Amino acid sequence: MSSFNLTLSPSQVEFVLKPSVTIIQAYEVANNSSQDIVLNTQILPWVPVGNDGSVSYQQAATSSDLDFSLANSDLKIGQSFILKANSKQQIVLKIKTSKEISLADYYQTFFVYQNQDPLNQDNNFSQATGKIGSHILLSVSNTENTSIKAKLESFKIFPKIKDVFFTPITFSGEIKNDSTYFFKTSGKIIITKNESPVKEIELNNDNVLTNHYRSFSCVDSCKLNSPLWPGKYQVTLKMDENLGIADSSYSFYILPISPILFVLFIVGIIFGIQKIKKLKKQKINLK
Amino acid sequence: MKIKPLIFFVTLLLLSEICHLRSKISLGQTFDSASFHIDWGNFNMTSGKKNSSNYKLTDTVGQNAPGQYNSAGYVVKSGFQYIYDKIIPFSFSISNLNIDFGYLVPNIGSTATNVLTISTPTGHGYEVYALASHPLTTIGTNITIPDSLCDSGSCSESVSGLWTSNSTYGFGFNANGSGTSSYFTNTNYFRQFANSSSGEKAQICMSENVPVENHTATITYKVLISPNQASGYYQNSINFMAIPKY
Repeated sequence: MSSFNLTLSPSQVEFVLKPSVTIIQAYEVANNSSQDIVLNTQILPWVPVGNDGSVSYQQAATSSDLDFSLANSDLKIGQSFILKANSKQQIVLKIKTSKEISLADYYQTFFVYQNQDPLNQDNNFSQATGKIGSHILLSVSNTENTSIKAKLESFKIFPKIKDVFFTPITFSGEIKNDSTYFFKTSGKIIITKNESPVKEIELNNDNVLTNHYRSFSCVDSCKLNSPLWPGKYQVTLKMDENLGIADSSYSFYILPISPILFVLFIVGIIFGIQKIKKLKKQKINLK
Repeated sequence: MKIKPLIFFVTLLLLSEICHLRSKISLGQTFDSASFHIDWGNFNMTSGKKNSSNYKLTDTVGQNAPGQYNSAGYVVKSGFQYIYDKIIPFSFSISNLNIDFGYLVPNIGSTATNVLTISTPTGHGYEVYALASHPLTTIGTNITIPDSLCDSGSCSESVSGLWTSNSTYGFGFNANGSGTSSYFTNTNYFRQFANSSSGEKAQICMSENVPVENHTATITYKVLISPNQASGYYQNSINFMAIPKY
């Protein structure tokens, strides 16, 4: 039974580079299957879509100011090669920027894909093929430290009022990038009650691409689990100083709804029992 | 000739004395015996990966100042267990590349399956796209099987629909497992493959927003041909493309 099983590393590279320079990035492709495989390489530009790190290859245009080639002496981009079973190969990608390239971000994917055998009548079956990609985020700039214009687009706490038990409090939000170059979200959500710390939730270093937005994610999860003491809680979103986003504070309330309902239920039962006892006594007295 | 060892010994003594006087506080570990004094940067007594049925633990015991340290523009992760963040590489596999429907006969359905498995490194989710070269076709005579429109007549390459009726003909697929619930409600829901021969673009059939290790989804290919369709062997090529989330 033939199978496809490839590993491509690194899965993403990020560079800040000047116009008219060449950089080199080595990739390692591993064939983890027990059969030889015929592979090929490809570079495709993409644009970000949605707010969760998805991409689209349809709307992206290739830049003629970026030149991709392979430094391997026996290989070119688009040239087939055989990767033996359970073996690895290093593919060295050369990225060259032209002198006239616009100072901006360029997003590409380096693909390694399985060559398609022509269908033939002898096989009588359909064929599946695999393709695996690694993203390349390039910032073409004359300075290493590019300027950042970040904006907190939204921050949501759900629910804002809840019981001491049961469901967790969930935090979500979006960061917008109004600058020419991508940056990483970095910061934390600090939850306090009566000015005492309750929990600090670290944000993941997610990429926010140029003129795009991204919902932030957390290292563990963006949730505060129950049970929680009743009262008013303060939530501060503290982003990394470099992003230039001012700290923002929000609040949510924890109410002892279920304990109150439980007490009312017990009181109700006690009252009910007493009432039944009274009724029974009255009936006995009447007799 | 005899002076040289003496000079060497005195220099060594002076150097060791200077080093001894220089730092009063040592953050490393030291080992002493009557004859030896050994300085260590740190003394790791245990580190590694521990597993149980419900938990995974990576640890470093004995490391100086382990933990994550943040400052403007920098994140330092100190301690051996942080290397495990990077250990999972981006991998993608397809269990069986030969999708065999056999000799197709009208009103007798045929299914085939294979399994997609994916792992992504720290900080990355993934997307898997599916694209067919063309509709199922007989090689040589070029008779094609139309894509299924599902029972409701409204499923497409981007929208799945219920397909359980024996009188609904065509070709479609279902994905069931990790990262597929956004695209297929259950195993009775099917979609058409996007066909590159018609200029259609690859569609996502599996995705997650968090790093994963060996997450799998079973792809079920289903074909049912109408009495008007010629019996025979029908073929096409189906490409699955895996990319990380940026």
